Amino acid sequence: MSDAPPEYIDFAAYSRHVPTTIPAAVQQATGRFLDTRAARVAEMENWEALRQAASDLRLHTLTHLDVYLERLEQQVTAAGGRVYWARDAVEARAHVLGIARSSHARTVVKAKSMATEEIGLNHALEEAGIQPFETDLGEYIIQLAGTGPSHIIVPAVHLKKEEIAQLFREKLGLDAPADPVALTAVARTALRERFLAAEMGVSGANFLVAETGTLVLVTNEGNGRMCTTVPDVHVAVVGIDKVVPDWESLTVLLKLLARSATGQKLSTYTSFITGPRRSHGEGGPKELHLVLLDNGRSRILADEVARETLKCIRCGCCLNVCPVYKNVGGFAYGWFISGPIGAIFAPQMLGTRAGRELPYASTLCGACVDVCPVKIPITKILLHLRRRVAQGDRVAPPSAPWTTRVAARLARWSLATAWLYRLGARVMPVLEAPLARNGWIRWLPAPLNRWTRVRPMPAFKAGFRSWWASHTKGPTTP
Amino acid sequence: MSTAGRAVIDSVRAALGRQAGTPVDPRPEILPPRQAADPEAEVDQLLSEVNALAGVAKRVGPDEIEASLRNLIEQETVRRATLWSSPTLRRLDVEGRLRACGVEIVAPDADKHALAQCDLGVTEADFALPETGTLGLLSSPERPRAVSLLPRVHLAIVSRSAFRADLHQVFSEAKAHPYLILISGPSRTADIELTVTLGVHGPRALHLWVLSDGD
Repeated sequence: MSDAPPEYIDFAAYSRHVPTTIPAAVQQATGRFLDTRAARVAEMENWEALRQAASDLRLHTLTHLDVYLERLEQQVTAAGGRVYWARDAVEARAHVLGIARSSHARTVVKAKSMATEEIGLNHALEEAGIQPFETDLGEYIIQLAGTGPSHIIVPAVHLKKEEIAQLFREKLGLDAPADPVALTAVARTALRERFLAAEMGVSGANFLVAETGTLVLVTNEGNGRMCTTVPDVHVAVVGIDKVVPDWESLTVLLKLLARSATGQKLSTYTSFITGPRRSHGEGGPKELHLVLLDNGRSRILADEVARETLKCIRCGCCLNVCPVYKNVGGFAYGWFISGPIGAIFAPQMLGTRAGRELPYASTLCGACVDVCPVKIPITKILLHLRRRVAQGDRVAPPSAPWTTRVAARLARWSLATAWLYRLGARVMPVLEAPLARNGWIRWLPAPLNRWTRVRPMPAFKAGFRSWWASHTKGPTTP
Repeated sequence: MSTAGRAVIDSVRAALGRQAGTPVDPRPEILPPRQAADPEAEVDQLLSEVNALAGVAKRVGPDEIEASLRNLIEQETVRRATLWSSPTLRRLDVEGRLRACGVEIVAPDADKHALAQCDLGVTEADFALPETGTLGLLSSPERPRAVSLLPRVHLAIVSRSAFRADLHQVFSEAKAHPYLILISGPSRTADIELTVTLGVHGPRALHLWVLSDGD
C-alpha cells in the first residue's frame, strides 16, 4: 500500500480485482468474531445502557474537545512526558523523525497503530535510514508481504499458512512447517531480538485520559507492552479524537471495546501509562513522547451531522456485519481504514473528491448501526456524505450493460414460473457437482466467471421446497 | 503550548463554535459498578474465567505452596526465575523455596536480556477482577514491569485483599500510579488462519494462585 494519501479511491474498480480467496477468509473471520460477540452481549444485562452511555460520553468529549486536549497536554507534561502537536501528516512525521534522530535510533519496534499508517510513518523512517518493524503478528506478516491490511483486527487474514511459511522462508531465511503454532514461534523468536535491540518503540493509543495524561493501550499478543516497556524511548502517535475525560469513562468504553471487536470480555493486556518511568528499577522507557495528530479531524468536527464519525473506538464490528465489506474485503476501500467506518471516515479525511465513491459503497442496510458500540449513525452519515458528494463532486451514475439486463429478465421469468423453478432446483446440483468444493464454487466458465473472478460463489444447497419440507418436520418446541 | 498546538486548539474551537473559557457541561453519568457476590463465589468466578482463557488458576492453601512450586518447576521446566520483592512473596519465601529446588534467581531489575532468559516471573496481583478473569499489576522499583512480560511463564499470587468487584474500584486506586497493567490470560493471537495460539510476545503460560483468607 502506498504511503501518500490516495487522490481518488476507485472503489468499483478495486472491488473488481479482489482475489477470490479474500471473501472466503474474511467471512470466516467475521463470522467467528460475530458469534463470540453475540455470546458476550447476551451475558450483559445492561448492554444497551452501556452503548448509550458510551455514545453520550464520546459526543460530550468531542463537543468539548478543546478543553480536554488542553487538560491532556498539561497532565502529560506534569507526568514528565513531552507533547507535540501535528496539524498534518508532514508535521507528525517530522516530530517522530526528530525524536528518532536525537535518540540515535537505528531500529524501531511498532505496535499496531492506525495513526502511524495514516501518516505513512514506516516509509518516512526507512527513507531516513531507520528500520521499522511491525510487531503485531498480522502486521508483521503483511509488512513482509508488502501489502496493506485486509481486516482491522486480523490484518493478514487473507493469507494461508502455506503462503506465510513461504514468506518466512523467502524474507527471513527461516524454515518452518505450514502450521500456525510453529509459524508463531518463529515470529516470536525473530521479533524478540528486535524488541531487545530497538532503541525506540512506537505505538498508538486506544484512549488518552485527560484527567491524568494517561495513555491506554489494548493488545492481545503483548507486543504493545513490549514496545512500550523494553526500549528506552516511547513515542505514541495518536489522533486528537482519542481523548476521554477521565478514568471513570474508561469503565464504560473498555467494557464495550473487546466484546465488540473479538468477543473477549477484555483484551489480554490493557496498559495504562502515565509519563516515563519514575525510577530505574521499575523499568519502562526513560522518555515518553506524545504526538497529537489533527490531520483533518478538527475539520470533521465542524459538520454537526458527520462529527459523530469521530466517536469511533476502532473495534471493527461494523466491518464484521457489513454485507459489502464481507464480499470485497479491506483492500477495496483503498485506504488504511475500511468497511462502513472507512466509508464515512475516508471521504471526510481525504475530501469528498478523493473519497466520492465510498459513501455509495453501502446498501444502507444498517447492520453496522445496530452493532456499533458507540452508536454512530453510519447510514445517516452515509446519506449526508452522498449529499455532500452530489453538491460538490460528480460521480458516474450506476448503469447496467445489456447482458445484465437480459440475464435479469431471464431470472425473473424462471423464478416466477413454478415448473421451471422446480426443474432448476433438480438440475443445479448435478450441473455444479464437478465445480463445488466445501460448499463453494471457486471457478466458473465464461461468461459466468465474471462472478468467480471476484469472489467465490456459494454452492446451491437445496431447493426451497425440499428444505422447507425437512425443516418443518423437525421438533417445533425444544 | 507550541504554535501548532495553538492552531489545532483554535481550529477545534472554530469548528465547535466555542471560545476559550466557555463553560464545560458536566460529563454524562457513568453506569454504576457491578456488585460483588460473596467472597468464595468471587474466587470461584475468577478461577473459572482465568481457566477459560487458557490460564491455570487454583486455590493454594498455606501448606501447599512448597508442593505447588515444585510441580510448577517440573511442569514448566523452570531453571531460571525472577520475582518481585513484595511482602507476600517474601513472607511465603518464594525465593528461598525456588533456590532450594535448584532454580537460579535473577534480580527483577536486571538487564532486559537477562530477564528475557528467565523461564519464570513471579508477581503479586494488586487487583483481581472476577468477572473478566483479570489481574491488575502496578509498578515500583521492587515490582518491575518486565517481570510479568519477558519470562516464558508468569505466576501471579493473589491475596483475598486484591479482589475488586469492578473496574471502577481498580481505577480509583490506580490512577495515582505511573503504570497499571491489566492481564486477562496468557499472550494470544489468532492472526494466522484464526487459529488461537498462545505466547506470541508475552508469557506462553499464566498461573494464578489464590491464597486462603488471611494468608
